[in-house]
Amino acid sequence: MQRQAHAAIGQPLEGEGRALRRTGYLLGVSDLLWIPQAGLISIALGKMLADLSGAGAAGLQSALVSGQLFLIVAALVCLALLRTFLQNQALNGARRVAHKIQSRAREHILQVSVKRSPSADFPASGAFAARITEQVDLLGPYYRNYLPQVMRLKLVPLAIVLVTAWFSWLAALILLICGPLIPVFMALIGMRAKAASAAQQEELTRLSGMLLDRIRGLETLILFGAAERTEDDIRSAGERFRLGTMRVLKIAFLSSTVLELFSALGIAFCAVYVGFSLLGDIQFGTWGAPLTYSAGLFVLLLAPDFFAPLRAYAAAYHDRAAGIAALEKLAALIAEIGPDSPQLPECISMEHSAAVALEGISSPPSIRFSDVTLTLAGRRIFANMDLDVAPGETVFLAGPSGSGKTTLLDCLLGFHNLAEGDIRIDGKSARQVAGPLRRNVIWISQSPRLFHGSLKANLLKGVENGVPVNEDDLWQALRLAGAEELVRRLPHGLATQLGEDGFGLSVGEIRRVALARAAMRRNAALVLADEPTAGLDEDTAADVIRGLKTLTAGRTSLIASHDPAVLEMPGRTIDLVDLAAGVREGAAP
Amino acid sequence: MKAVWQIVSSQYRHDRFHFWLGILAAILPAVAGILLLGVSGWFITAAALAGLSGAFLNIFAPSAIIRALAIIRTGGRYGERVVTHDATFRFLAALRNQLFAAFVATKDRHRRSAVLLNRLTLDITALDTVYLRIVVPVLLCGVIAAGLLCVWFAISLPMFVAGAVFLGAWAGLAWVSVARADAKAARRADAASDAIRLRAADLVAGRRDLAIYGGLDAAAAPILSAADRLTVAEDVEECRATRLICLSSLVGQTFLAVSLAVAIVGTAQAAFTPALAVGLVLVVVALPELFSMALPGLARLPRTALAAKRVSALQSTPLAQTTSAQTPVIRQPGDNPALLGFEGVTFRYPGAARNVLETLSFDIRKGEVVAIAGRSGCGKSTVAAIAARMLEPRTGRVFLEGQDLRTYDEQALRRSITVLGQRAYLFNDTVAANLRIANADASEADLWAALEHAALADRIAESPLGFGTVLGEGGLGLSGGEQRRLALARAFLTRPQLFILDEMTEGLDKETSRDVLSRFLEFRGSASVLMIAHKRLELEAADRILRLPEPGHEIR
Repeated sequence: MQRQAHAAIGQPLEGEGRALRRTGYLLGVSDLLWIPQAGLISIALGKMLADLSGAGAAGLQSALVSGQLFLIVAALVCLALLRTFLQNQALNGARRVAHKIQSRAREHILQVSVKRSPSADFPASGAFAARITEQVDLLGPYYRNYLPQVMRLKLVPLAIVLVTAWFSWLAALILLICGPLIPVFMALIGMRAKAASAAQQEELTRLSGMLLDRIRGLETLILFGAAERTEDDIRSAGERFRLGTMRVLKIAFLSSTVLELFSALGIAFCAVYVGFSLLGDIQFGTWGAPLTYSAGLFVLLLAPDFFAPLRAYAAAYHDRAAGIAALEKLAALIAEIGPDSPQLPECISMEHSAAVALEGISSPPSIRFSDVTLTLAGRRIFANMDLDVAPGETVFLAGPSGSGKTTLLDCLLGFHNLAEGDIRIDGKSARQVAGPLRRNVIWISQSPRLFHGSLKANLLKGVENGVPVNEDDLWQALRLAGAEELVRRLPHGLATQLGEDGFGLSVGEIRRVALARAAMRRNAALVLADEPTAGLDEDTAADVIRGLKTLTAGRTSLIASHDPAVLEMPGRTIDLVDLAAGVREGAAP
Repeated sequence: MKAVWQIVSSQYRHDRFHFWLGILAAILPAVAGILLLGVSGWFITAAALAGLSGAFLNIFAPSAIIRALAIIRTGGRYGERVVTHDATFRFLAALRNQLFAAFVATKDRHRRSAVLLNRLTLDITALDTVYLRIVVPVLLCGVIAAGLLCVWFAISLPMFVAGAVFLGAWAGLAWVSVARADAKAARRADAASDAIRLRAADLVAGRRDLAIYGGLDAAAAPILSAADRLTVAEDVEECRATRLICLSSLVGQTFLAVSLAVAIVGTAQAAFTPALAVGLVLVVVALPELFSMALPGLARLPRTALAAKRVSALQSTPLAQTTSAQTPVIRQPGDNPALLGFEGVTFRYPGAARNVLETLSFDIRKGEVVAIAGRSGCGKSTVAAIAARMLEPRTGRVFLEGQDLRTYDEQALRRSITVLGQRAYLFNDTVAANLRIANADASEADLWAALEHAALADRIAESPLGFGTVLGEGGLGLSGGEQRRLALARAFLTRPQLFILDEMTEGLDKETSRDVLSRFLEFRGSASVLMIAHKRLELEAADRILRLPEPGHEIR
């Protein structure tokens, strides 16, 4: 995973860029094989005409017997097989490279996002999910279709013009005039269309968003009797969108119409020119000798393929726009959550130090904050703060919201980089033990999340890999959290599937299950709780406090709360406002 | 595939005129494109023969025809695109409406997964390929093929036979791509994509929990493996598409070689003129582009079918019971002066092992404030949902003003009851639009008065756009308490006979709870209140407290 750190997100590596260019050349060569094919067809038909006018139908028949026609047909089919083979190679190669780039982009995003401190800002989960699926998906067509087409465009039209010019400079001139005019006009129209279509794309996003928003809030709409009115709103918004989109498309289609027009006119002019010079009405346009029938037919056969790469390029141009927009969005995401923003000071996957450190905190640790100063987003949270917690002691952190209760707990978990000072857990630097500590701490938050999967799988997240756990342990933890009854009531018990965010459980039920998850860590020596009873009804709160009492026994505990019921528990209460007194004077303007 | 067919037929039924118009519009440029090459080939050969023999050739008609075909092809393509896209967008707009109406009508009022709802929008957008990339090209190819076969038959039998064989080969490719469609790979790709979506959302929203329980690295691993599965499945799909495209181009080129032989042999046998022979060959040059048009759409058919299936499934979810069918049961007025009455109500959630509510009976008189208390999970919110007719009791009856709730007119019911829930939904729309959901006719003065009453007027007035301020993502971020106040202001725009408060102050601190509650009680006037409560504050405000028993226990 290390090598990707150097490449920008979603960009091909050097070898991949080369491979994509090579697939473009393969496509081009496959196209260029049409030149010998067209040549064979022109020769065959030219010879037919010559035989016919020379010796009549009899001459033609004798020529057929000689087997020349059979050879020509066989050669055409062989060339066709070769072309198809090259095309197949090119398409498959481009696809493989594109998939590699996409996989790497997904890995890159994940790699960066798991390194980011959980207490740092992060994009909304829905937006993140959309980036890693839809936006990365859009890279596929960009690399697979667009880039090879660029190489094909560089190769094929030029070669066809040169071959055409060999027989007739005028026909080549027709192609040369029609060809380059296309991009000019397309660009003129395209620029207008681009701005309009970007606006329209946003409008589509808005429209889809509106539909989803209304479906999510459907209950509210029904309760206020507003569902029918909303149907009308959605209808008129959809109609507005259709009219707007059609306005945009009418412009956008003009640019491809220009392409069609010039390619159709190019073919028509070539045909008319060839026809007139064969009649003898036009005497110029060649290098001296008059145009032969075979040469004229050859020129006419090549004309459509001069325009074909241009048309394919124009068709793939949409993939380019989408791909580049996706690259920008992904780069913005990486910039937002990447290495330049606050990091977890230490990688979670540093397994080697784990064993040593774990041993160190297997008994209730002491905690010492000495001279700690921390600034977050320009705001000073702690200034020269000192705090000592004895092994096995329970300390309550009180103070109004914003006084840094959560931040203090986050510091112990290693989610922040200290500006100054030192935090020691059992005499070891908190930064060093943070990783292993996270894997063996009882941590209870005010808004715990449960995850997609079975209830049992959620509880097992509390258990270190490889530690054997039986069903009784699970029930014991649930009992401690006052959640036994509710799990027994569920139709599938421990096997009940939860959706994202504990989908299917009520807020109070999620809190109890989360408490049980914390209680699975029976070997933990440290308890950290952040407003464990916030927003809970009295019964649930009582269950949580009861569980908390059991958990704090024999462990060092830090509990942030302003709930009187929690503060009634035995222990020392510290007011963070007093402790972090430096905050007032040191506050940033 | 059935689902795709359903989409096609529903688009057809939705707007037949535009459906056919799009197909007709596609035929014109296709024919012009074929003739352009054919006539050109015929013309230069005729010109060459005339040049050699000195015979007279009317050159103006063919050259004019060639130029006219060039123009028709161009203009026709433009018209085709506009017409077919318009037809598609008309249909998609109607589809969105249908889906919303279906959601309104479903019985299933459960909260839906936001991530999977997002997928729905992608599905709807994916359905535009049905008409544009499948229906139009396939029908177009059919019409052109029939036309070509007729012309070839009239000219020469060998040409007809060769044409029939190769057109048959293209039809075979199309048939194989439909009949042998790899639905499994498509399903795998979709499932992998869903897994990435769900787990990535989990990874972000639960970062803090994951950092401590289970580890972020471990949470990223299933996303990576889902991404690998996605790549493998997509590879299978795209490999098929590539093979299809390559085979199609091979068919086209072989056809060209064979038609060359047929043309020359036919000329030698004097079956047709040399000019016509060259014209026939050049027509074949133009065909591969046309007949390969439908293939990309057909190759993606399995994925489109899955999207269509999901959308159709939503469209046909079971409808809510029709309320008018039942005979109204009306309590005698003297019998009971209650505004709301529960009579032996039992309720059980689908799939649950036992009843949440067991023969619950109570009355709320006019003007009374009744609190319902009990442990979480004992069915308090269920009572609220049943009273608001969001759920149907399993047995027993609910009466509103003496009339059976089941027979109550929907409009009248919503006017009579206002529900203030703990999850007040605010729409991603302006403040005014959010408020007017409660009362579409409310004047600006009404809105301000309601905001004033909810102590939110100052906050809204602060923002430069005032009522026009958009709430939610990228708009005004209201705190939890402010959101609750806005929901309260919304309720203040109604004048119901019964308010149902479902843990209105849940998650609010004491100060805010007290303020919100007192403002509400001041406003309610003579309306009755059914309050689902657990805070002492709320219980104290009630005239009467009804304690629900623990599930499975008898009422105390």
